[in-house]
Amino acid sequence: MKFIKNHLMFILPLMAILLGIEFFLVFDRTTDTYEKGLKEGYTMLVVSKKPVELATFQTLNRHISSSEQIARDGIVSEVAKGVGKSTSAAIIKALPYFYNLGLDAYLKSSELETIKKDLKSDTNIKRVETFGGSYNSSYRLFAFIKFTLKLFIVFMTVVSLFLIIKQMEIWKYAHKERMRVMEIFGAPLMLRSGILFKVAFVDAILASILVSALFLYVKFYWAAQSGIDMMVENQEVLFRVTDMGILLGSSLLIVIVAVYSVVFSNKGVEE
Amino acid sequence: MSNVIHASNLTLSYDNGEKQIIKDANFSIKKGEFVFITGPSGSGKSTLLKSLYGQLKPTEGDLVVGGLNLTNIRQRKLQELRTHMGIIFQDYKLVNEWTVAKNVVLPLMIAGYSTEIQDTQARRLLKHVKLSEHADKYPLELSGGEQQRVGVARALAKNPVVILADEPTGNLDDYSSNVIWDLMENACQQLDTTVLVVTHKIPTIFSLPYRHFIIESKGVYEVH
Repeated sequence: MKFIKNHLMFILPLMAILLGIEFFLVFDRTTDTYEKGLKEGYTMLVVSKKPVELATFQTLNRHISSSEQIARDGIVSEVAKGVGKSTSAAIIKALPYFYNLGLDAYLKSSELETIKKDLKSDTNIKRVETFGGSYNSSYRLFAFIKFTLKLFIVFMTVVSLFLIIKQMEIWKYAHKERMRVMEIFGAPLMLRSGILFKVAFVDAILASILVSALFLYVKFYWAAQSGIDMMVENQEVLFRVTDMGILLGSSLLIVIVAVYSVVFSNKGVEE
Repeated sequence: MSNVIHASNLTLSYDNGEKQIIKDANFSIKKGEFVFITGPSGSGKSTLLKSLYGQLKPTEGDLVVGGLNLTNIRQRKLQELRTHMGIIFQDYKLVNEWTVAKNVVLPLMIAGYSTEIQDTQARRLLKHVKLSEHADKYPLELSGGEQQRVGVARALAKNPVVILADEPTGNLDDYSSNVIWDLMENACQQLDTTVLVVTHKIPTIFSLPYRHFIIESKGVYEVH
């Protein structure tokens, strides 16, 4: 019973950290997809006196990734219905050129203002419309959700680290005498800490397997059957094979640090 | 005969030199000698013994054990030196979660001997200290005298060059004490091992010729 309790006291906080890491990975991938959607759905409108090539826009600001000219005929046919052909041609001639510009990333509203300023530095560009109002509110909501979740993950990790440190104190006490005796008889560090490493590695592997299993279950069973559109759409990003490596690597790193801190705090030649 | 232990102007202290225990001690101990170190409580007997297995570094002077100067010894060399020592403690210092047999072969395990050799040696050593039937028991299942015999068996496991014993019979009754003294005399006589024992009282039953040092007022003096 004590043996199981000792293991659980280490596995549970380790699992909490691994869950935090996996949540972070999943969230990062999900927001990446969402960010991509927002980026692709966004364009700014530019009105120019003369035709402008994409390369010219890009020399003005490197974030501009695409430009699409809005057909002027269409605008005239909408605003000047029923006018004569020659009048229509005159209107078209007098009209400026309209462009929808796409960006290479989902940017802050301050960066949109910079792009606007850069574009306006060209004397041919008469007007730039960033649609800042609606863009800003979606960006803020998105940034807030992202920040809140990251904050929660950091908090969870810190609390779990404290629990691991507490467990390390117990380990230190439990293994102190044996390690001390082995040290007196000349056992090298690796031999003295061998049992601790064995226990810790088993715990690390168990914690990684449990967290991976949990996410695999969520991905293949729960998400598919949940009926929640967002979960079904993002099922692919919920868990990837590489995550298993990341989880195992992280848990091994944590236990190596934990074991070494126990081993070195038990070391003691008095001077 | 060569010196196994040599101290010259040895000063030992705690708290970064603030609390001086031994000052300017000079002595040498040769291979195969049996040595008693006595002195009143708190005189520094155990401190001197700790310094001999490198647990306490000399503050000043030199302390050479097995040809290695412990004043500036590297950790790796110290570990190697300790594998040639057998150390016996008043409180036995056995690993309670290990069986008696595993405790006995700890020095062999550290030296990397195979499990077969460890098993054979465990049987031989436990027979030597008359504890064969307790091989699979755990230390806390044994009496104090039996635990100390396990400690002696462990100290003898790798035919050490030197045995250091800190009050080995301090917690034992007369019968158990005599068994321990017998075992240590035998080690000295048969294996030519240097034995250095810190004790508050030299046993009356002791039959081997021995040297006697006393620690008084921070000094180490030989009693003739």
